Amino acid sequence: MDFEDEDGYTDAEEEELDSQGGSDVGGHLSEEDENKDCGHNHTALCEADIRNLQEQVITEVSSVLNITKYSATVLLSQYNWDLNKVKDDWFADEEKVRNKVGLMEKPVHNYPPGKKEINCRICFDDFLPRDMVSASCGHMFCKLCWKGYITTSINDGPGCLTMRCPEIKCVAAVGEDMVNTLISNEEIKRKYSRLLLCSYVEVKRNVKWCPAPDCDSAVEFVMGSEMFDVVCNCKYNFCWNCLEETHRPVECDTVVKWMLKNSAESENVTWILANSKPCPKCKRPIQKNAGCMHMTCTPPCKNEFCWLCLGSWASHGEKTGGFYACNRYEAAKQKGLYGEEEKRREMAKSMIEKYTHYYERWQANNKSRTKAVADLHQVETVQINILRDGQGESDAQLKFITEAWEQIIECRRVLKWTYASGFYLPEDEPEKRQFFEFLQGDAESGLERLHECAEKELVRFLDAKEPLEDFKEFKIKLSNLTSVTKKYFENLVRALENDLAQEGITSCKVQGRP
Amino acid sequence: MANSNLPRRIIKETQRLLSEPAPGISASPSEENMRYFNVMILGPSQSPYEGGVFKLELFLPEEYPMAAPKLGRICLDILKDKWSPALQIRTVLLSIQALLSAPNPDDPLSENIAKHWKANETEAVETAKEWTHLYASGE
Repeated sequence: MDFEDEDGYTDAEEEELDSQGGSDVGGHLSEEDENKDCGHNHTALCEADIRNLQEQVITEVSSVLNITKYSATVLLSQYNWDLNKVKDDWFADEEKVRNKVGLMEKPVHNYPPGKKEINCRICFDDFLPRDMVSASCGHMFCKLCWKGYITTSINDGPGCLTMRCPEIKCVAAVGEDMVNTLISNEEIKRKYSRLLLCSYVEVKRNVKWCPAPDCDSAVEFVMGSEMFDVVCNCKYNFCWNCLEETHRPVECDTVVKWMLKNSAESENVTWILANSKPCPKCKRPIQKNAGCMHMTCTPPCKNEFCWLCLGSWASHGEKTGGFYACNRYEAAKQKGLYGEEEKRREMAKSMIEKYTHYYERWQANNKSRTKAVADLHQVETVQINILRDGQGESDAQLKFITEAWEQIIECRRVLKWTYASGFYLPEDEPEKRQFFEFLQGDAESGLERLHECAEKELVRFLDAKEPLEDFKEFKIKLSNLTSVTKKYFENLVRALENDLAQEGITSCKVQGRP
Repeated sequence: MANSNLPRRIIKETQRLLSEPAPGISASPSEENMRYFNVMILGPSQSPYEGGVFKLELFLPEEYPMAAPKLGRICLDILKDKWSPALQIRTVLLSIQALLSAPNPDDPLSENIAKHWKANETEAVETAKEWTHLYASGE
């Protein structure tokens, strides 16, 4: 692991170093562009790794400023882990910094010497001084009150990292040393140390937590890398940029829009039904925001149409009864062709139907992928053993099965996201849509054949009591399907990455056929 | 019953509030619930609220004194992030009384009244006096 980040480079220097690193990686990439493998854009960090990084900064501040590690931690927390600012400010005016963050050198409050008992200003009971504790300021409170104070503060959240002495208006810091000595509850202590770690990760622009639920690991990104796909220690694949699961070749914007749509859709349906009509050209819902019937859809569509009959505005004018009344609409309405409500509902419905079409396929592939992940696990832990014994094959000879499943998982992921892309393809570029649907169709049917073969045809060999002769045939079939499907998906990915530009369509076709 | 295991601190505070009340402030616990106080604050002299009696309800939550007392809609920092367990009911009520002497129109509950106060303080003071007489004269 590369720890050089913490050696006191300024942010600008760090970025320069990072981007140099990034371009090196880019150089390697072009060689293996075919499988788009890029393991060099990030490092997966487990909690201990992050603690190490954090510990290094703390140690440096502690040794350079000659203060305890606990004081260094308080200082860094209050300075948002900005190592250079801490050093600059400290050496410019140590006393000012000490007063600001609450690290007093001498107590500001002293009790009369020889006083036997001191009143705790929280519970109002008297205690012997040896049963009381104070921060650097000298304000004494009993241990039980400290415990309550610290626990409440930690349970309140990240504010506990800048905890102060409970005395009114006292700024003395309460650091991790006091937390550790006064709190015995492990869960509370763990919560505090986790918050401390989070505060460190939050300000590091090149480190982000893994978004998988219940995962405590993080990923350190090589800033400037072109590829955003990263893998956490927990095996979760996600996009560094938008934190959604890996969605290449679909762009982050599309994914964010799509996910937002999915979460908002159920509530939106009613509103859309009641208040909007889809643009007759691009099908996006249009809300009327001005008085007249001349509608202009937002760019890039810019379709001009009549709000009433949804016909093209170009054909409107004097012959249809003027711009502000639509004869066609009135006439049709009189003939009973337009029940206004009905028509509106129908429009909204057609829009929802379009969404439902893509959503169902996105969702189905998602589920299918999850199932495939579980199936691969089953293959690796159970089925391979059965086949090794039953069919007398070596592990190396059986590798084609895991390879098939890995391909299925990857393809389900890509296919799923292409449905989000498909939803947003502009309606007014039919050739792009056609091209996309052609490639997607090829890829999808290839994948279905591969998935079926891996799922269904393998069963016979698992049940067999003795080696079957046609195992070799099965191996050839599954391997071929794997490589053919891989090709189809590469074509689909490449096309989407080129924004469905038509060049190369013929070569894709040729390459794609088995 | 909520009164059965009342922390000693609350008992002591209550006793002191009753035996040595702060000038212009009275706070007495309700009989059913010792965490619930009926409070009266007299309008400070030389303020537009002079002569008024302001009634408040104060409640000590389970976490008190680690958490601040609950006091309706009053914009006061010590009732929020600046709360310290070394503060007391008495100090909170004194702060409220001080707020009546020196209102803070930059952090208001009512935007309209704050605007009025900033635009024409004399007139706003008159309104305050009038309303004190109308609504808080203690009858």
